[in-house]
Amino acid sequence: MSCPATQSGEQIEPLRYLSRLEAEAIEKELLEDYKFGRQQLIEIWGHASAMAVTKVFPLPSLPRKQPTVLVVCGPHQNGAIGLVCARHLRVFEYEPTIFYPKRSPNSLYRDFTTQCEKMDIPFLSYLPTEVQLINDAYNVVIDAILGVDAEPGEVKEPYTSILATLKQIQIPIVSLDVPSGWDVEMGNSEGISPDVLVSLAAPKQCATRFLGRHHFLAGRFLPYDVQKKFELNLPEYPGTECVVSL
Amino acid sequence: MSGLRALLGLGLLVSSGSRLVAAAGGGRCPVQRGPPAGIWGAGRGRSSSAMQNPGRSGVKYLSQEEAQAIDQELFTEYKFSVDQLMELAGLSCATAIAKAYPPSSFTKSPPAVLIVCGPGNNGGDGLVCARHLKMFGYEPSVHYPKRPSKALFEGLTTQCQKMDIPFLSEFPSEAMLIDELYGLVVDAIFGFSFKGAVREPFGSILRTLEQVTVPVASIDIPSGWDVEKGSPDGIQPDMLISLTAPKKAAQHFAGRYHFLGGRFVPRALQQKYSLNLPPYPETDCILQLP
Repeated sequence: MSCPATQSGEQIEPLRYLSRLEAEAIEKELLEDYKFGRQQLIEIWGHASAMAVTKVFPLPSLPRKQPTVLVVCGPHQNGAIGLVCARHLRVFEYEPTIFYPKRSPNSLYRDFTTQCEKMDIPFLSYLPTEVQLINDAYNVVIDAILGVDAEPGEVKEPYTSILATLKQIQIPIVSLDVPSGWDVEMGNSEGISPDVLVSLAAPKQCATRFLGRHHFLAGRFLPYDVQKKFELNLPEYPGTECVVSL
Repeated sequence: MSGLRALLGLGLLVSSGSRLVAAAGGGRCPVQRGPPAGIWGAGRGRSSSAMQNPGRSGVKYLSQEEAQAIDQELFTEYKFSVDQLMELAGLSCATAIAKAYPPSSFTKSPPAVLIVCGPGNNGGDGLVCARHLKMFGYEPSVHYPKRPSKALFEGLTTQCQKMDIPFLSEFPSEAMLIDELYGLVVDAIFGFSFKGAVREPFGSILRTLEQVTVPVASIDIPSGWDVEKGSPDGIQPDMLISLTAPKKAAQHFAGRYHFLGGRFVPRALQQKYSLNLPPYPETDCILQLP
């Protein structure tokens, strides 16, 4: 393997944090050169995200009597990854509930929605603004609202209100790839403060401003040539795991 | 729980295409499910003696028709795509292989694995498996003599090729050569749709595989076997990775390792076909059957 680690497993080269352009370039290469399918990538990322959630919040550790998880999904790819994450959490015997206010018309993403519905995962019709309701009902919130493709500073309704609510909740937030509302590179000191960040494939620059307890890398499929080309210097994944703690 | 009931009471839960629509507003917690889900580490399992004998509490062994029906339902009713399920299936296979045959167990270094891919979905599973084996530190090589001209398979092939996984243009002519070069062979030739006679080049390939001494791991069905009756004359793999649920042929499997993989069957579908799948440990995507 070409992973740059010494015998003791320490990194020689530091992990790279990607700009928006680099993240987009990698995805483009995966889709166009390596011929990964978009659904395939979303499945890989959603499954790995669910694994990361279970690492930080294993079933027996959850404070509420029922292992409830709220998954808030945005309208684009990040939201679709959230749907797949929810489905795998259901398979792992958690009880996810999804809030998906603006469903993508994209047929690829519609199927992800159907899969969740057919697995009896409830979909909320609206998110209560009363924060205590959320605190009481759920153990964790998964933020799958906005990803790398979000336009900085152009968050629109209903997401501005949703993010305002998430800023106030007291249960942990797990953000997928980019904390929603953060600039991919600069972060956002006024934005949400997730407890856990799950970086997909490689961390983005805003992750350097992440102050939560756990940062995971998820999605063990990046070809070595891509890793080398972008000088990612990813750490070694343990055993056959698809997530690694950073 | 009171918070969730409050959300229900406010009529906030909406779930089209699901049985929960009736439950919303009725005060019943929507997250109640059939038999209570086990929590991890509870050591809840079925007695191992029940496994091989499909009695009342044992895992069900599927007929070819049932296997095809379940597959169809996953795609048409549940709207899974082949891409998605193949990815999960291939990952299960690679994970099972890594469990039973870790790189350290190979006599040669690097741990070389030969994956033989057939002309259908079983071959696709093999391609995904090859890619994950590469990420797990193995050195896979693929032989893929009959490739369907569909985007899915072309994509999977490209993914492997661009990851420097060699594709052999010819199958090693002698079993001894395979034993020399590889520590393990993955049989991804035929799956549960297989019927009738084995067409070339797979007849010759299977005859060679019958002679190899390195272990053979078969994906879903040992290739060449009747999907229900098995085959005493065919290949005798050391490992079988049954996907979704074991097929009747698995009752004739005599190798060391039988794994279940493809952890994506919705509970409702499991109940509909009375699969009686044992619980997977924690978040594992594979489960070893006794």
